[in-house]
Amino acid sequence: MDDLQFRRMIYADPNSRDKAVLDAQQDDPSKKEFAQELIQLDEKIKQAMNVPVPEDLRDKLILRQTLASHQQKKHKSRVYLALAASVAIIAGVAVNFLQFSSSYTNLGDYALAHVYHEEGAFSNQDESRVSLASLNQKMIAFDGSFNQSLGELISADYCRFDGMKSLHLVYKGVTDTVAVFVVPKNEQLDFSATFEDKRLQGESIDFKGANIIVVADKNESISKWQQSISDNISWSI
Amino acid sequence: MSPLVSNNMATKQKRYEALVKALHADLYRYAYWLTHDKQVSEDLVQETFLRAWRALDSLKDEKAAKSWLITILRRENARRFERKRFDMSEYEEANVMDTQSTSTEQEIENHWLREKIAQLPPEYSEPLVLQIIGGFSGEDIAAMLNLNKNTVMTRLFRARNQLKEALEEQPATRGQYNG
Repeated sequence: MDDLQFRRMIYADPNSRDKAVLDAQQDDPSKKEFAQELIQLDEKIKQAMNVPVPEDLRDKLILRQTLASHQQKKHKSRVYLALAASVAIIAGVAVNFLQFSSSYTNLGDYALAHVYHEEGAFSNQDESRVSLASLNQKMIAFDGSFNQSLGELISADYCRFDGMKSLHLVYKGVTDTVAVFVVPKNEQLDFSATFEDKRLQGESIDFKGANIIVVADKNESISKWQQSISDNISWSI
Repeated sequence: MSPLVSNNMATKQKRYEALVKALHADLYRYAYWLTHDKQVSEDLVQETFLRAWRALDSLKDEKAAKSWLITILRRENARRFERKRFDMSEYEEANVMDTQSTSTEQEIENHWLREKIAQLPPEYSEPLVLQIIGGFSGEDIAAMLNLNKNTVMTRLFRARNQLKEALEEQPATRGQYNG
């Protein structure tokens, strides 16, 4: 290794572990001396470069990170809270929607579905009877009353008619029970005057205080029922 | 927060604190020789460690931590110039660290040498700082600075050469300086 190249290499890295560089130092004391000189220079440079580090820097770095991650956590938990709130609101709206909105668009469809739902709960052979007085007691809620009984009343109970508090009357019919619903007026359901499917037929009448819907099988004369309801019912307001 | 997550957080916290402890001084000095400004250096180091904290999971090999941090710091420094077109102030005497209050012979020489280092062109001083403070090899420095190794070795050669020459002239100028 010639002197120039040796110097270049030592200048570039006085602590070089390069074999050629080490060998050259071994062979030539002046090169070794030169290398030592550069190592000393490096020592001086190192001391000069080791400028004092602010004493509190380390603490600041840790503190700042702690604050930053704390904020991050706070931020995250806020996000979770917001998420939870959103989910709760959506759940609330959904429940509300399912419970109080109609899945049926008109009175007829709903009345049919209601009757089918309660199929088997009542039969024409049921012995129980409800008196006119207790029926009228229940009719108070609708500000109406019947002047005389429409027929043999098997059951009279409040029920939820598509989310509305309604009165569900079950009368003994010709072949099967006749269902009469007293339903508060509702804007959600379209009024359907007559409706039927394969087995059942129905009619609605629009009274002042409520809609009254009669649902019965095809053997029953719905119009006769409607007529007798119209004749017998009176509204207090 | 589940125990697993908070456990990970605790581990991350420990790793971070170990990094700070082991490397903050080197990083600060590197920043200082890059910027010649104490306050800017401190800010750079803080910004660097904050970014390091956020990206800590991407650091797989602790041995690579120092060059990883230096890379972040260099990027932060470059960003500083993008943000605000500093007049790329060449070295100013006022900026050089004043340690003369201690005034020992050694400190005076250090101070003098600091000025000489600060006067080196940045492309010479940066590899030198990385080599001497960082303890990086020529290959490491070349990788960090995106240069080829020969260029790095040439710059190291020139940097030491200039400092050595300055030191050899020193006795003449030193008295004057101290006066």
